[in-house]
Amino acid sequence: MKSLVSIASARTLLLFSAALLAACTSTTVDEFRQGETGIENDEAVVILGRRQASDYETRSEFVECVGDRMARGDNAINIVPEQEFIDAMFPWFEPRTAPLRTRDLEQLMAEDVVAAKMSEYGIRYIVWLDGFTETTDRQGSISCTIGPGGGGCFGFGTWEDDANFDARVWDVGSLTNVGTINTDATGQSYLPALVVPIPLIARVEANACNRLATQLKDFVNGS
Amino acid sequence: MIFNRSPLADHESSEQTVSNVYSSMRKQQTLVRSLLTRMGLFLSVLLLASCGVSNVTIEGSFPTPNISKLPLTVAVYYDDALREFAYLEYSETGAEEFNIESGQSHIELFNAVLPAMFEEVVVVDSMEAAEARGVDAVFAPLIEEFQLALPAKTKLDVYEVWIKYNMRLVTAEGDYIADWVLTSYGKTPTETFRTTEAAINDAAVVALRDLASSFSLSFTQVPEVRDWLASL
Repeated sequence: MKSLVSIASARTLLLFSAALLAACTSTTVDEFRQGETGIENDEAVVILGRRQASDYETRSEFVECVGDRMARGDNAINIVPEQEFIDAMFPWFEPRTAPLRTRDLEQLMAEDVVAAKMSEYGIRYIVWLDGFTETTDRQGSISCTIGPGGGGCFGFGTWEDDANFDARVWDVGSLTNVGTINTDATGQSYLPALVVPIPLIARVEANACNRLATQLKDFVNGS
Repeated sequence: MIFNRSPLADHESSEQTVSNVYSSMRKQQTLVRSLLTRMGLFLSVLLLASCGVSNVTIEGSFPTPNISKLPLTVAVYYDDALREFAYLEYSETGAEEFNIESGQSHIELFNAVLPAMFEEVVVVDSMEAAEARGVDAVFAPLIEEFQLALPAKTKLDVYEVWIKYNMRLVTAEGDYIADWVLTSYGKTPTETFRTTEAAINDAAVVALRDLASSFSLSFTQVPEVRDWLASL
């Protein structure tokens, strides 16, 4: 009897380990450097999300996540919060008026009020984040029932998440694009349900945020 | 000590017990009936509430634009159509779904934007009052059209708001200076724990900010306004 229980426990553990491993994400980071970088202690970086596309917009939570991670740890960088910067620069960084190319930034910096605000915040780099997380390949089904004696769910669901984000780094000093970093994180999520649903979620966006923030921090610091 | 009970006493006791049981049953029935009535009432209220129109009053904060001021004294006249502007969105079955009130938020927006654009701004209650104040021009905005796109209808993961305006600029005496159309657009993505009302509000606030940015940056580029400014 004891051996039967231990075999069952081992199998359950194996199943969970396999599911946990499968729920892991794979992240690829590509860096394309176009110019020298470096930042002083009194200088800051602002991270902005692109919101020009008609069918999606870069989530402000992702922008905030990258900023938070760049602002802590070794070689932490001064990050100006996105909304604070956009409000302070209003109306120059709204979806319709924000510069799309460095040439537009050059024209924008010709405005005295814009140049003064940039200087006030000590902005050295503007990082434009553009991307979204997509869920594809939804499979399986889960059904739940409830009755006088209790309730429960049974079934299995799975889906794939893909987070793809581009970060373009503009040097406000030289008014040039100094590099682009692309992050692509994919992962399979599972939702087995045996009475209680057990979500095994692939945290693709969190992984994309971590890896992108680390890479951006090194990039801006010039290392 | 032994107590002897008579058969009559037993019969009386049995009658009392039956009477108690009936009384208890009656009480239970009344309780169940009362509970069912309350539940029915609650469900009816819930059903009525879910069937009714949902009111959304647009609320947001609008920053002051960082632009150069024009050396002009401008009066602004908000007519009742703007002050009480509301848009009614219908469901696919033709039922009233959302009543979006945005008149007050438009006034708040213009009150934040106009003082950044002109040296002096006065709000007037009538066109006659503007003449008495001796201003350079009177600005009277008007909402011509309001459109809402919900994810349930468009199958996109965004809430969208379009607004079309008619901007009118006249002299203090009421003579025509300029009359132009401006459109604004705002969208916000769907989020798991956000209500439709909150998403509509967010999309509308983005649209209002879009109006503020395009209006403040394009004002001097409107041909009639440019000609008028050159003639001053």
